[in-house]
Amino acid sequence: MEQSKLLNDDLSIITAESAEQKLRSNFRAKGISTALFSGLSYGFYTAFMTLAMSMGIWTVWYGEGSGLSAFATTFLLAAIGAALTDSCSAIWALGIAAVRGRLGDFFRSIRTKPGAIMVASAIIGGPLASTAYVVGLQMAGSIVVPISALCPAIGAILARVIFKQELSPRMMLGIMICFGASVLIGGSAGLADGDTSIVMLGIGFGFIAALFWGIEGCVAGYGTSMIDPEIGITIRQVTSGLTNLLILIPLFAYIGGEDGYRMVFQAVADSESFIFFIVAGLAAYGAFMFWYKGNAMCGAALGMACNGTFSFWGPLCCWLVLGIAFGLAGWTMAPVAWVAAVIMVFGIFVIAMNPMDLFKKGNNQ
Amino acid sequence: MKPLNYAILKFFTTTEKASTVEVMDTLRPEYGDFKAFTKGAILDALLTAEANGLLESVGSEMSSTNELLLYFQAHKEGADTINRYITD
Repeated sequence: MEQSKLLNDDLSIITAESAEQKLRSNFRAKGISTALFSGLSYGFYTAFMTLAMSMGIWTVWYGEGSGLSAFATTFLLAAIGAALTDSCSAIWALGIAAVRGRLGDFFRSIRTKPGAIMVASAIIGGPLASTAYVVGLQMAGSIVVPISALCPAIGAILARVIFKQELSPRMMLGIMICFGASVLIGGSAGLADGDTSIVMLGIGFGFIAALFWGIEGCVAGYGTSMIDPEIGITIRQVTSGLTNLLILIPLFAYIGGEDGYRMVFQAVADSESFIFFIVAGLAAYGAFMFWYKGNAMCGAALGMACNGTFSFWGPLCCWLVLGIAFGLAGWTMAPVAWVAAVIMVFGIFVIAMNPMDLFKKGNNQ
Repeated sequence: MKPLNYAILKFFTTTEKASTVEVMDTLRPEYGDFKAFTKGAILDALLTAEANGLLESVGSEMSSTNELLLYFQAHKEGADTINRYITD
């Protein structure tokens, strides 16, 4: 009788242990797939925003004889494109939060300390990083793309220092492998022609973008351990959309000598392009919501490295949407991007687990 | 009224240890009609809090209905962080 009880106890321990192990393994897999999905969503967000900005009124604004100053063409149009995408994304986020019964918690969260931190990180990672990125691209060329891909490394280091998250030499090695893959994709186009000091300044802006996105990923990822990710992303997109609309556009319009809000209304009224901003807004919602959620579930190092696969998803989605679906010229996929994608998967694998564990497991079995 | 996730974390600063069952029993009167008030969503919130060092796991057992119950507690540092960010 006693023996039977002990046996039952043992069986229940084994069952609880194995069930817990399975649950934790599922949670980790869900975190990794969430973070990877954020990279894919980011690719579609880039593709549909680029598509929208190459149609309708945008072809007039970017065309010869638009009458816009060089500053307005470079900065104001980029800010309007980002503002429309973020605003559409904010409306999607508010709508989804309402349908899923989270709108009340959105208003309750935004007035709290973690809510304020989410707002601050949204401003840093939204308008500030995006503008630094666009300015860097204009000044230094596409070398800024791999430089901005340093953000997972920066985020992981900040998460180690501020939130005491795990960051081993193996994880840093994995992050550097992913960064190397981004360099392979983005570095082929090289530096822009022109004054070296301007190019160096542009590279500096690329580092600022990487730093700001690193801060956002690490702080907002930690923030979503307290705030529901769906509420966190609603705070992010509403903040980013409003900051772009109320601060960046008037500022750039003033410097460029244009009527920014008239241009915003024209862009909204242009149904041919605006429909794609709505799609881009939904993809942006997914990109940032899964980014925050993935970072919170797996930690900044692994979460941001998985999200960093946007270096691959971006060109792939642009090729699929712009090149294949819409037949626009100049959107082919460089073969090196496929090689880089394999290297990235290896890099993520190195961050996620010690390859030696595979052999240990094999021995145990 | 606090957001649901705040109430879940704050509950752990008032109890020694708890699983999703105790969390749901305690918060049901106030949050029972929330769409996010599901066992799966609450377990995800607890595992996420654990991944970010706010809570720690303190064992597991199978319930009488053969369901896994994971127990968590807020250690000193975690409870301090929760109380610092989430005030009453």
